[in-house]
Amino acid sequence: MESEENEREKGREVCANGNSISAEELEAKLDAGNVQEAEAALRDGLSLSSEEAKAVLGKLEYQRGNVENAFQVIDGIDLQPIIQQLQSSLSEKGPVKNALLFEAVYLRIKCLQKLDKCTEAIDECKSVLEGVEKTYGQGTFDTQADNKSQEIAGRLVELLPELWKQVGRYDEALSAYRNALLSQWNLDNEICARIQKALAVFLLYSEVEASPPNKTDGSYVPKSNLEEAVLLLMIILRNFILGKIKWDPAVMEHLTFTLSTCGQTSILTKQFEELIPGVYHRIDRWTFIALCNCGAGENKSALNLLRMSLHKHERPNDLIALLLAAKICSEDPHLGAEGVGYAQRAINNARGLDEHLKGVGLRMLGLCLGKQARVCSSDHERSNLQSKALQSLEKAVRLEQNNSDLIFELAIQYAMHRNLTVALSCAKQFFDKTGGSTLKGWRLLALVLSAQKRFAEAEVVTDAAVDETAKWEQGPLLRLKAKLKISQLKPMDAIEIYRYLLALVQAQKKSPGPSTQGSQVEDGKINELEVWHGLANLYASLSHWKDAEICLQKAKELKEFSPATTHAEGKNKFFSIMFEGRGEHLEALIATLNAVLLEPNYVPSKILMASLILKINFISAAPVARCLLCDALRIEPTNRMAWYYLGLTHKADGRITDAADCFQAASLLEESDPIETFSSMI
Amino acid sequence: MSGDEATTPPTAAKPSATAADSPAKLQTAVEALSSIVPSLSKLTPASLLTSPDLYPKISALLRQPNSGAGDNNLCRWLYDTFQCGVIDLQLLVLRFIPIIAGIYLSRVADRKPQAGFEAVLLALYAHETTSRAGKPVSITIPDLSQSSVYHEGSAKTSGKGPSTPNSGGTEPETAVVSPTLEPHGTVRSTRRARIVGVALELFYTKIGQMPVSSKIDFCEFCKVWAGQDGEMYKQFEEGGEKDEDEEEEGKRKELEAVSSEVVVEKKAKVEGRVPLCWELLQPVMRILGHCLLGPNNNREVELFDKANEACRCLFSRSMHDVNPKAILPMRSLMRLSKTVMPNNNNVDPTDLPFSDVISL
Repeated sequence: MESEENEREKGREVCANGNSISAEELEAKLDAGNVQEAEAALRDGLSLSSEEAKAVLGKLEYQRGNVENAFQVIDGIDLQPIIQQLQSSLSEKGPVKNALLFEAVYLRIKCLQKLDKCTEAIDECKSVLEGVEKTYGQGTFDTQADNKSQEIAGRLVELLPELWKQVGRYDEALSAYRNALLSQWNLDNEICARIQKALAVFLLYSEVEASPPNKTDGSYVPKSNLEEAVLLLMIILRNFILGKIKWDPAVMEHLTFTLSTCGQTSILTKQFEELIPGVYHRIDRWTFIALCNCGAGENKSALNLLRMSLHKHERPNDLIALLLAAKICSEDPHLGAEGVGYAQRAINNARGLDEHLKGVGLRMLGLCLGKQARVCSSDHERSNLQSKALQSLEKAVRLEQNNSDLIFELAIQYAMHRNLTVALSCAKQFFDKTGGSTLKGWRLLALVLSAQKRFAEAEVVTDAAVDETAKWEQGPLLRLKAKLKISQLKPMDAIEIYRYLLALVQAQKKSPGPSTQGSQVEDGKINELEVWHGLANLYASLSHWKDAEICLQKAKELKEFSPATTHAEGKNKFFSIMFEGRGEHLEALIATLNAVLLEPNYVPSKILMASLILKINFISAAPVARCLLCDALRIEPTNRMAWYYLGLTHKADGRITDAADCFQAASLLEESDPIETFSSMI
Repeated sequence: MSGDEATTPPTAAKPSATAADSPAKLQTAVEALSSIVPSLSKLTPASLLTSPDLYPKISALLRQPNSGAGDNNLCRWLYDTFQCGVIDLQLLVLRFIPIIAGIYLSRVADRKPQAGFEAVLLALYAHETTSRAGKPVSITIPDLSQSSVYHEGSAKTSGKGPSTPNSGGTEPETAVVSPTLEPHGTVRSTRRARIVGVALELFYTKIGQMPVSSKIDFCEFCKVWAGQDGEMYKQFEEGGEKDEDEEEEGKRKELEAVSSEVVVEKKAKVEGRVPLCWELLQPVMRILGHCLLGPNNNREVELFDKANEACRCLFSRSMHDVNPKAILPMRSLMRLSKTVMPNNNNVDPTDLPFSDVISL
């Protein structure tokens, strides 16, 4: 194809037997309708037979797109002896007289195809191939046999399924494809790869209900259309890697589409990594693998690749990479600051045709700022970041009015600002737009209502949510409901719910349950440990120490079965609650110390330890208590208990004004405290 | 706690009967339909399956404001017709799935009663649950080091070739085409997407037998669900060409400065955008793949154009959701659709290479 231009410059001509005639000259005769004159010129000028001359003219016409004329000229050749010759040339070694005439056989079929005479084309194609197959079947063919005959045979093999496809006879097309690949045709690698690709495409998108190919020699047989297509595409890729065939980018696209619609991006990564360098630009490669990794939940490796591709010497303004990087960062408080940078760059680059992505950039900016605020050490900076986060989300929603996820995030941001009225209206809006289709929508609504101390309404929402949810996904909702019962001073009801939850856990253990892919089950999974802890807490608050102890024992047993998440902090915390309840303050203090040491970011333990220090009037440890509380507030600035105890430390030290401020903060927060933290929602 | 979901699905009759085997059921369907849609009263059992009037007339009715209500006769008819167990009649009902799913999902936010649509969708869901016994559909990713019908394994060269990562006796990897199905007696809001998704999966498995008009409607609804304009991806270029684009930036900017205002305004008007969770996206993308790349589909110019538009809108949406699981397949689909554009000068791989010098 590349040499086409060069050849054209050289002039188009027909050469044979040492002479040549210009193609234009012949075409001029053809255009004038003098076919015979053109034929004669070839016969005389190049010493060709009449058949050969017709074949040349047919080819000229075909190449010019004059299919009708080409067909008429070729139709004048008696092809039957040529077909026989073609077949015998495949089995007998020796010079082949006339490649051009073989080509004429093929061109005639192509003409029929283009003239919408596919049925005729199929008949001819089949009859030639039957002969060829017989020759091959006898095992007499010579692999060294004439290339041209081989090529024509290969082309016919490739053409037949396409012809069937064109007339809508898909079953025949399928068996022709498989016959092409499974019988011995001695196809060259390129043709073979083309047929493999065509069959894969056919299997992927035609939705013919095909039974798998039958061959029983112990080798792997794909069981479905999809498996067969994936196999074929992977074979093509491998042959490319082995250097047997040319690169065809479409193969990778088909594989990407197929595997990613099955959610299997990790296998895609492998396929991509196997490709030799140079096939794709390295940045495209990084971005692609980052997308795959992120799709498979491997955000860390995705981010590492994106960092490389967004380097200032690479492609620092690539929007997909910027947005993806910002999104990954927005899920981790410690990456918040980095994400802010990406989001800002995304906004700056959302220009021209990409203008529509500005809102997305603003949204990511808001989310990253919100996350950054959480790990910020200074109060002033934190509130500054939080306001900026909110502003950014508000700007985003003006551009993305219909984006329900954004409205959800906005609701949470308002709620964290304790702007509960607006938060509720956003939560409702999200709920309506999604038609209650997400668990998080129901939970958010209940949480905001609980923060407004509208417990009864929150319970109605929770009940409705349970009705709209499949059994295995009810866990978080039921836990929420138990907490609502506790808030309404109905501990016995709460105990009932916890018991039901435990029964549900047992049932879930016995049943394999639905596959989690793509559904909401993951966030719905009941955490048994949390249920025992919740119940222990409840019993402890009722001073049912014995029951509380049993629950903790259960939790402890469970812990031994779950190696990864030890949740030691919970256990220690509850032991300390128990010791405290029994008046064993020192033991309680030791237990909390353990908890704080094991899980330095777990706020409840810090508060508990501080409260114990205050309670036993451990004066020399007062600075420790204050430190613990400040730490707790850094992590969770809206924790009212932390504010309350901080007030107590100030009071004990005689700083009355500071103490008053803290108490006021605690009481303000109490008025708007949800039963679970809002930040647990994102 | 609440209404147990173990409600058994309405027992679907064995769908083995064809229309020819059950003239009585065909007759019933025709009679019932002509009483609901008087303009279709000329239909006979013979013309029911082939009448060109049927699709547009029923579609128009399905689009009416209260079409999905529980007491809607047409929904009742679709439900009964599907349940009768005659395969051709079930296919007839399937034709309307894009339109039912499309209108249903877009109306969810309006809180309209849609028990009629839900009954039809649940019937399909139950049918699929029964025929699959609730089992998931998955595929095994082939291990190339093992010989297959189409190739020789690389066992002999293992260790050398770069292409043997799967060898080494590891468990074969699988990909889920469609997850487990639990029986559902009602449409619970959190299961809605799955139920609609399964109905679309069923549509997809029969897509070879679906009329073009039904596929076109599907593409139209994809655009509505995406809620995102896709025009800017018409000249979809890869990130790599960005640098060259920079030169045109000035020109483009001016152009866009004007049009972006319009885009924003348009965006505000978009209605019907739905949450596109994976359960819904999966079948949607597959159907779209068929519409764009199915055999002979590039001859259906209208379908091809609509599918392309839908594809661009969904790609745009995937970018707005920053959802890599959707960006990847939609981007590939966009690239692939370009290679089969009807008026694109495609190279026919079966054509002989053009030669300027014909030499004998």
